[in-house]
Amino acid sequence: MTRRIVFFVVALLAGAFPLAAQNSQFGIQTVGTPGRPESVRSRSLGGAFAAFDAASAIADVALTDVKRLTATAAGWSAIRSVNPVSGKEETLHESRFPLFTLAGPVGPFMVIGGGFSSYLDHSYDLLTHDSTLIRGAMVPYLDENISDGGVTDVRMSLAFKIGPRLAIGAGFHALTGSDRLKAIRIFDSLSVYAPVRDTNVVKHNGFGISASVRLDPFYGVSLVGFVRSDDKLNIKVNEAPRGATDLPLTVGAAVRLILKPGMRVAASVTRSNWSVVGTDSYDTMNWAVGTEFGGSGFALRLGVRGGQFPFGPGGSAPSELAASAGLGRTFAQGHGVLDIGVERLQRSGNGLDEGVWTLMTAFTVRQ
Amino acid sequence: MGRLRRAAIRLAPLCFVLSLTTCIEDLTAPGDCPTFCPVGAITIIDTVLTGTVFGDSSYGRPDGYVDPDDAPGLLAVDEPSLSRDSRPIFRTTPLPTRVRVGIDTTTGLVTGVDSLRLSITLFNRDTATHDNLGLTLYRLPLTIDSSTTFADLAGQFSGPPVRTVNLDTLIARAANEDSLLRDPLTGDILVVGATSLTLRLRLDSAQVPLVPADSGRLAFGVRATATPEASVAVGAFESRGGGPVVVWYLKADSAGKTVHPLPQLRSTARPTGFDGFVFLPPPSPIGADLIVGGVPSVRTILRFNIPRAIRDSGRVILATLELIPTTPPVGVPADSFRVIAKSVVADFGAKSPLNESLTDTTIIRIVPVDTIRLNVTNIMISWGLSGALPTTLFLMQQPEGAVFPELRFHSSNDAPYRPRLHVTYAPRYPASIK
Repeated sequence: MTRRIVFFVVALLAGAFPLAAQNSQFGIQTVGTPGRPESVRSRSLGGAFAAFDAASAIADVALTDVKRLTATAAGWSAIRSVNPVSGKEETLHESRFPLFTLAGPVGPFMVIGGGFSSYLDHSYDLLTHDSTLIRGAMVPYLDENISDGGVTDVRMSLAFKIGPRLAIGAGFHALTGSDRLKAIRIFDSLSVYAPVRDTNVVKHNGFGISASVRLDPFYGVSLVGFVRSDDKLNIKVNEAPRGATDLPLTVGAAVRLILKPGMRVAASVTRSNWSVVGTDSYDTMNWAVGTEFGGSGFALRLGVRGGQFPFGPGGSAPSELAASAGLGRTFAQGHGVLDIGVERLQRSGNGLDEGVWTLMTAFTVRQ
Repeated sequence: MGRLRRAAIRLAPLCFVLSLTTCIEDLTAPGDCPTFCPVGAITIIDTVLTGTVFGDSSYGRPDGYVDPDDAPGLLAVDEPSLSRDSRPIFRTTPLPTRVRVGIDTTTGLVTGVDSLRLSITLFNRDTATHDNLGLTLYRLPLTIDSSTTFADLAGQFSGPPVRTVNLDTLIARAANEDSLLRDPLTGDILVVGATSLTLRLRLDSAQVPLVPADSGRLAFGVRATATPEASVAVGAFESRGGGPVVVWYLKADSAGKTVHPLPQLRSTARPTGFDGFVFLPPPSPIGADLIVGGVPSVRTILRFNIPRAIRDSGRVILATLELIPTTPPVGVPADSFRVIAKSVVADFGAKSPLNESLTDTTIIRIVPVDTIRLNVTNIMISWGLSGALPTTLFLMQQPEGAVFPELRFHSSNDAPYRPRLHVTYAPRYPASIK
């Protein structure tokens, strides 16, 4: 009973954290930067194992691996260098708690789970110097545009083991969140011209459904197929409805091989039609390969992934390539797990390159 | 594998600590616009609202918001070109009949006066337009008060003066003596400050005898002269520098022996005395115009009908009230003054309580202009922030009641020349995505 209370406390604490994805300047003009609902373990493996990882929110069917009530919370800190073609490089810092999952078995063949993950992040702080004509005089000013917020995916999932080789999963996703958009203009002649400060609160809501199936045809070989359909993201600006944005359909597949005890390899591919969002949005195809060494007490992880980022100017999607590594360590007779990882991402698009170092940490507590 | 595992386990805490230490948020970057900036942007609209002012009135004649006896400055003006003549007058408080004559509480009867020193502070001296600024001191009857007029004192001011001082001569000498001058001939002292002069005139008992029947009360008038015209203000009790002060060097009886008690007694024009000034020509009535300032001081109330697009949604950057003068303010350059716009807490007309924290100030120079522009940006912003505030403001002069020039401009009844509100504002920032 005490352990269950601890689980709920952890769940509440995790829910209080800001949830967000890793930002990109490419996402400023759109709905934001899509999140990666992957656990630190999966992300250290390039994302290739995410469809097999119950702590990730990629494929609901992965919950079938959960034998005990399990909670996982993840956090990361990123150092992002932004290198525009027409400007000088800037280094940005951000920290997020993008993922929390809670899952437990209900009977011998069914697992129920849920949690929060970042669906979109729309946080930025931009400074612009310019001048404007006021009453016949050019007046220099500094503009600051700040956005803080995003969209969170609240997930409820079920997974069934239909037989020893087949399992299915399904989930419902409630999308909710808000952006606080601040626009500030401060004129150089502050004694003459009053500054302008304006704040808009943009609220989002929507829903999505997901389904997945897992097949283990042979020992050591697992296949997962997954699909997720998100409806529309309804937008309210200062409580006034402001239309809706279409959200993508995502399909993907993954394969995992257990080559020998203590060595696992996985690969995945995912396609999303983000082009439905609007202008300067593109369909994406992403792939990932990863390998994990080690047993139940310790694991070493390596991964690489690539593909496209769905938003960007110039008529073509920015490309992404990332390499990652991580460690996993089990404590307290398997009741606690600490995962750490590091990822280096290079994102290149029209007019801008971004390089991101991400340090990741996750705690898992099992009953 | 074993070595790798051990190394990894040692490295894990370091990575964990590193991830915590990098837990900071700084997303500030230069905007690479328009490609990597938000779709919406702040826009600026500049508009002149011609029919926005209504219910405008001026109050303050014949009884001003500040009358000469309440003014912070006593105007000493001699401007023949403007037919303007103004003379400060004041009456000091009475002296006690007995004063302390020793180090204890023993008192003695006041028997006479050795001398006295009259201290007055001068400011708003126009150094650029006149020479030979002189002050002439006259004795006045003790009956002077706020109802005394210029004509009432014509006889006293045409009589023999008590003293005449050429200030410019003293100032020139003081400049060579480190801003403090004691005139060896007269005993007068001049202290030159940054924005004011303090003149301490030494008067003897022949010039100003102690009259027991008057309880030592004195009444003086001051007349300023200069070439070609004089304009200066004498500090009043209501001003920061204080009003006229008389320091008495008395004689008192101490057990049959005449002594000179210390410290000297001081008598001032307030609270039981009086200070003010009498002037010509008499103030003109308000008439059909709107007026701000003058003597007695007049205030103008203006009510505004602000479009909702500006008041509710706009962010005011610059707001200017444009007034078309019927006659330009008349005076010398030193008469430049401030016009303060104050919003009201509640609109009760002439006696509306003013919001002292929401003000805008504009300096008015004594030069001919076709349009007077008053800054009202702060007040406009406050009206937008608080929808409950009445969109009413008062215009008043500063210093109030101590400057002759006044703003006189057309009211909203004069359609072609009615007050206008020139507003530069930013409409609501549009939150949008592509």
